[in-house]
Amino acid sequence: MSLWSPPPAGRNSLCGAARKVLAADAAGPAPPPPPPPPPPPPPPPPPPPPPPRTPRGRKRRLLRRGGGMAGWARLARLGGRFWAAAPSPGHRGQLGFIVRHINSSTWWHEHLSEENVEFLKKITAEEYKAQTASKLCPLKDEPWPLSKWTPDSIRVGVVAVKLGMMPIWTKSGEKRPVTLLKVQDCHVLRYVSKEESGGKTAKLLVGGKNVSPFSKPESAHEIFKEAGVPRKQKVTTFNVTDDAIIKPGTPLYAAHFRPGQFVDVTAKTIGKGFQGVMKRWGFKGQPASHGQTKTHRRPGAISTNKAAKVYRGKKMPGKMGNIYRTSFGLKVWRINTKHDIIYVNGSVPGHTNCLVKVRDSKLPTYKDCNKNPPFPTFFADGDEELPEDLFDAEMFQFTDPSVTFA
Amino acid sequence: MGAVQLEITAVLNAVLYFTGCFSLSGYRVSSDGKPPKFQPPPKPVIIDRKTQKEERRFLSPEFIPPRGRTDPLKYYLERKDMIQRRKVFNIPEFYVGSVLAVTTADPYASDKSKRFVGICIQRGGKGLGATFVLRNVIEDQGVEICYELYSPRIQAIEVLKLEKRLDENLMYLRDALPEYSTFDVNMKPVPRMDHEEIPVNKLQVRMKPKPWSKRWERPKYNIKGIKFELPEHKMKAAQKWSQPWLEFDMLREYDTSKIEAKIRKELSEELGK
Repeated sequence: MSLWSPPPAGRNSLCGAARKVLAADAAGPAPPPPPPPPPPPPPPPPPPPPPPRTPRGRKRRLLRRGGGMAGWARLARLGGRFWAAAPSPGHRGQLGFIVRHINSSTWWHEHLSEENVEFLKKITAEEYKAQTASKLCPLKDEPWPLSKWTPDSIRVGVVAVKLGMMPIWTKSGEKRPVTLLKVQDCHVLRYVSKEESGGKTAKLLVGGKNVSPFSKPESAHEIFKEAGVPRKQKVTTFNVTDDAIIKPGTPLYAAHFRPGQFVDVTAKTIGKGFQGVMKRWGFKGQPASHGQTKTHRRPGAISTNKAAKVYRGKKMPGKMGNIYRTSFGLKVWRINTKHDIIYVNGSVPGHTNCLVKVRDSKLPTYKDCNKNPPFPTFFADGDEELPEDLFDAEMFQFTDPSVTFA
Repeated sequence: MGAVQLEITAVLNAVLYFTGCFSLSGYRVSSDGKPPKFQPPPKPVIIDRKTQKEERRFLSPEFIPPRGRTDPLKYYLERKDMIQRRKVFNIPEFYVGSVLAVTTADPYASDKSKRFVGICIQRGGKGLGATFVLRNVIEDQGVEICYELYSPRIQAIEVLKLEKRLDENLMYLRDALPEYSTFDVNMKPVPRMDHEEIPVNKLQVRMKPKPWSKRWERPKYNIKGIKFELPEHKMKAAQKWSQPWLEFDMLREYDTSKIEAKIRKELSEELGK
């Protein structure tokens, strides 16, 4: 059975000229000559030079294969077309040529003049500042009804930036590693009720860390415009009980958590790419010598004889990392209210400067430690005046003298 | 009157002529007879020794942040904690090669504190986790202890002898003859004036016979403080592992002068309070 069949005989098997002649014959005798055409319109302005086409087919393969001196010579010959093209007025590059992605995607200010770019940037910065300033007083802004904390209520969490790690010491002189998480521009974006979401609890969408609005379409900005906040880099959902709902637009701070309580931190792990079975699953591999032929890091046997199949979920090589993982039950040692930093015990998934999702721990062991938190969240314009640093009772503060065992 | 004037001018001319031999610009006889232009004396160059001394003052190496993509805010917060600790507890200036005595709190000792004297062979780590390793030979047993500079269990750090050595890392003392690592536990601190420069001990250490823990003759360790008694061909063979291009590698350059200046200013402000 062949996958290709010749096209059906008919109009499509003729060339264009033949088709025109046939059509003219079918139409009949030539119609009377048309009236003289009107005077030609003024010539349109010359179109801008077309963007240089990325090479296709053989030329692209040649470019890819370019290596060593011969490759650079080929590149120079092929790239003559790129380098001859004049840079567009919006382009700021110091180089004379434009390097384009394979699909020739454009960046947001490619077709804008420099003045317009500066103006847009200035306007966006001012708008961001105004939006942030307008949200600084949530309690004066008709907040939704506040309720008291009960042991069954689940409150919202926070989106933070992982800054790095450092050691701290306890009062008994033991060293503990802590991770610094900075709560940067965290705002509540939307409230989704239980019926709307179809889940068991209501949901609150929370966003963190302001980003430039220019690289996304207008449709992506709807949720931020509704809440009246700048565009955020990460948007997550928190399942909350009905007594813990917060009005969209409320800022969230690090003081939402207190030292001594326990949190769960979720983030995307560092991506390691395609990895073999030894790194990904911790297999032992095979010995380096003593007769092993080309087998040092392989999985070995993947199933038994009786099974006569490979089970689903068999550990095999594949993409490792870049998936969401949670560290449970991390103690909060210290809160810095001036810079909005949470000092969390141990390590947290993700690379430095990645965005993480922090929420109260749902492990049953720490139910007693998370009693009476600021509910539904900490309001900066409320009555509470917090000092710049809040420490856990067990933590050694550097204002104290050295530890002595009496 | 005219005669007096003539006399005066004659005398003046004589003076001018006489003093014209010396090259004093103020008294030089100008060619067209006009009075010479006033040349102000050269301005004195003021050498401000105080600011110079401050710039040259020691900045502990753990304050300089490593190269990376971390937010400088994290280093700033760490530095605040380090400064706070230094306000309460004095961490003296010392270098690799100085002899220190460290007293730490120990719950299991009878006095609840332990004192150890040794030569500092390595300073590692940045920020609050900075460490230093002290080495001594006690009853023919070499002992090395790694202390954390900012640990609250350290009760006192005393510099008994402040000096530098030819290398930044003295790990080769492990393979040197034990006499170079032995220091008296009851050593008295060596007195030293404040304004003196830190002395550099150009001691060249004699080694135990090979094998050593590391091949110290290789150029990657760049050790100046060992008196190599190896045969010539072995020293030449070691140069095979040299990487002469490394010093020209521009990607490895890390210019800390501006960062250091900022941190010095911050430290002097905070610690002066």
